[in-house]
Amino acid sequence: MRLLRLFLIYLRIGLLYELQYRANFWIQMGKSIMNLVVALAGVAVIYEHTTNLNGWVPAELVVLLGIFVLMTGVLGVVVRPSMEKLIEDVRDGNLDFTLTKPEDAQVLVSVSQVRVWQLIDVVLGPIVSIAAMLHLGRQVDLQQMGIFAITLLAGTAILYSFWLILATISFWFIRIENIFMIFHSLYDAARWPVTIYPGWLQAALTFLVPVTFAVTVPAEALIGRLTHDYLMLTIGLAVALLVISRLFWRVGLRQYAGASA
Amino acid sequence: MTTIRCDNLTKTYTVPVRDPGLLNAAKSLFHRRTRDVEAVKDVCFELAEGEIVGFLGPNGAGKTTTLKMLSGLLQPTDGQVEVLGFKPFRRQRDFLRQITLVMGNRNQLVWDIPVADSFERNRAIYGLERPAFTETVDMLVELLDLAELLDKPVRNLSLGERMKCEVAVALLHRPRILFLDEPTLGLDVTMQRRIRTFVAEYNRTSGATVLLTSHYMADVEALCERVLVIHHGQLLFDGQLDELVQRFSPHKTIVVDLETEEADLSDYAEVVHTEGNRVTLTVPKELTAATTGRLLADLPVIDLTVEDPPIEEVIERVFTQQLQHDPDSTSDDSATP
Amino acid sequence: MSAWFGDIYRTLFKIELAVMFQYRAAVVIWLIGLVLQPVIYLVVWLTVAETEGGRVGDFDAGSLSAYFLIMMVVNHATFSWHMWEMGYRVRSGSFNSLLVQPLHPFHRDIIQNMAYKVLSLAIVLPVTALLWWFFEPTLTPEPWMWIALGPAVALAFLVRFFFEWSLALLAFWITDTSGLNNLYMALFFFLAGRMAPISLLPSWGQAIANALPFRLMLAFPVELLMGRLTPEQVMDGFLTQILWIGLGWLTVHLVWTRASARYSAVGA
Repeated sequence: MRLLRLFLIYLRIGLLYELQYRANFWIQMGKSIMNLVVALAGVAVIYEHTTNLNGWVPAELVVLLGIFVLMTGVLGVVVRPSMEKLIEDVRDGNLDFTLTKPEDAQVLVSVSQVRVWQLIDVVLGPIVSIAAMLHLGRQVDLQQMGIFAITLLAGTAILYSFWLILATISFWFIRIENIFMIFHSLYDAARWPVTIYPGWLQAALTFLVPVTFAVTVPAEALIGRLTHDYLMLTIGLAVALLVISRLFWRVGLRQYAGASA
Repeated sequence: MTTIRCDNLTKTYTVPVRDPGLLNAAKSLFHRRTRDVEAVKDVCFELAEGEIVGFLGPNGAGKTTTLKMLSGLLQPTDGQVEVLGFKPFRRQRDFLRQITLVMGNRNQLVWDIPVADSFERNRAIYGLERPAFTETVDMLVELLDLAELLDKPVRNLSLGERMKCEVAVALLHRPRILFLDEPTLGLDVTMQRRIRTFVAEYNRTSGATVLLTSHYMADVEALCERVLVIHHGQLLFDGQLDELVQRFSPHKTIVVDLETEEADLSDYAEVVHTEGNRVTLTVPKELTAATTGRLLADLPVIDLTVEDPPIEEVIERVFTQQLQHDPDSTSDDSATP
Repeated sequence: MSAWFGDIYRTLFKIELAVMFQYRAAVVIWLIGLVLQPVIYLVVWLTVAETEGGRVGDFDAGSLSAYFLIMMVVNHATFSWHMWEMGYRVRSGSFNSLLVQPLHPFHRDIIQNMAYKVLSLAIVLPVTALLWWFFEPTLTPEPWMWIALGPAVALAFLVRFFFEWSLALLAFWITDTSGLNNLYMALFFFLAGRMAPISLLPSWGQAIANALPFRLMLAFPVELLMGRLTPEQVMDGFLTQILWIGLGWLTVHLVWTRASARYSAVGA
């Protein structure tokens, strides 16, 4: 499939680029492991004082943490760098080069930048979650695995669409690099189950910046806590956002093409 | 009085080396190869107070590196350098107060606020007394025509306007030494001329020593009597500009305008170019007078001019001559940071 | 000399304030992150307290709220970003224009930092007030604590600034200091009291926190205001802060010359 082929091409370029800076591999490895240690230490400190956080036992929280790391990796490998590059390109006018290529522009801008070493998180996250699941000793049947996979895909789709919408805004407001900072701040909240937060924050994390669907929902799916309704909601939202972001992107492109150099 | 002195000034960089391709990229993760680049090698020269000296050389020749060593930004790998009696690298306050560095695109101006505020900032940093400061500002504003720019944020200025302001802010503390690195880069012809005139005037009135690097021959021709030519980190020539021309271009160019079109003037000298009634010839210097005489005597000449070849050509010749004499000159200029 | 410094600090402060004002959108966005993290951890700890019958260690809901909100403000007052910026300056060559001027970049950075703090107060204070109303913290400090708070925060700022600025100088030796910076942030997160009040850490964690200066950079003024320290402990804290500031000053002084020697002035 085209998308995959393009992704692999850019992956190779990304690899070539990153391999120049050999230190980056070790730095990323160090960072990922340190982030994980810090997160686990935080969980440990919390559970010194309690056995149950809003219904989540320690191992379940670690499962959540693993998903958090996985999602960070997924976003960090291609979604985030590509969207950040998109904003830059819009500002510098370099988007023109992309638009003259014989491929769908959205596909191109979505895979344009690959940070290979973020794959470390994509590997680390599942390891952590699996270890925690084993510790919990819970059985996970095929259907649950399937639902989990779906929620992961849906979560990725939701976050990708969200990032695309944010990036598309730069067609109108050029100096918005900082807007991604808001995302990072709110995303950080996702390392804890969103149900613990006060109503207004939960709402923000679900409707404003949909991180709930990226981390808490798949974690609940894996643990077996996800309700059917919520699953449907997640899938529905994913599809809706994909469509909306695509339409918004097209509008943005027309705006960009219409604007003078 | 000598203000700048270099003895065997040398700067060597270590740069990583890698072959292209995925396999080599992976290999480089574990094993790094490096190479030494001699950006500046055994450069010696002296500048006296009040001189304006041009520093010529192609990209990567070592001009900017030398300038950075003179202004204290870089520590020399070897050799001595002394500016106003200071070792630049120590970056003592009294030293920094007497020099200024203007580098083509770099800024001392603060991007988002009015130019006048940037001036004020430098006033504080250099500890300038208000009366002297105001006097200097007034002079610079007048010489560079900055009156309307003072309350505009720097980001709203055109490149030429910004450059004028950069030059101004760099001179607020009335430095004795000016290091100008490509000061007219990217400017239009009028602005280039403006800056040139200003530098000449400033040098004349303040007696400051100016070391100027430039790509534009016009800068050097207009401002510098003396030039230093550097290539591959080595000083190839240090002397008067006309001497450079004399030494490296043993030819002169004669341009004759004739009443009628003549068939062939190649008996007189080598014909470079013919366009209608105008013929351009090139002749060995020692034969100039004789050839001119013959042309005037034999032909219906309306006008005749004797010119030096363009300086660019002369400089080119200096470099090519050096290349021919230099066996290991196949190194890569662009490797120099 | 001191007249010169007075002039510099006054003039540059005004200018940095003006520049920051131009970037007010970025300032606001940055503040969202600064505010959100304490709120997140406050909520986590409140949840723990709720499950455990209203108390965690020597904190109840009211004092937890007080701790995290005061910590948020103090963190805002003492934080700096220069360890991230230094690497950029070295790599891009933007240091050139700074190094050619007769003013140590340290001064410039500290002035810029203070200008940022002053400007963002306009947002931080109302937001804190709002959160204060929402979380209903309990706080009853004695008058002397209010008086001691000023110096405690000022000293905390200096301890942290010197420490982090020294850390930033590593950028001259190491191309990418982000790994080290992250390590520092991770240690700080636990040992300065951001993740939890230090008394809620396991005892060995508390011991480490008390040995290192991180607590003095953040938790110390908070604990002071919450009345958890005796006057003797406060004096002790002040003296240790001053000690660390001295050490920091010494480090910067010694390392800076070596650092600028390593600077290869790449870039235009």
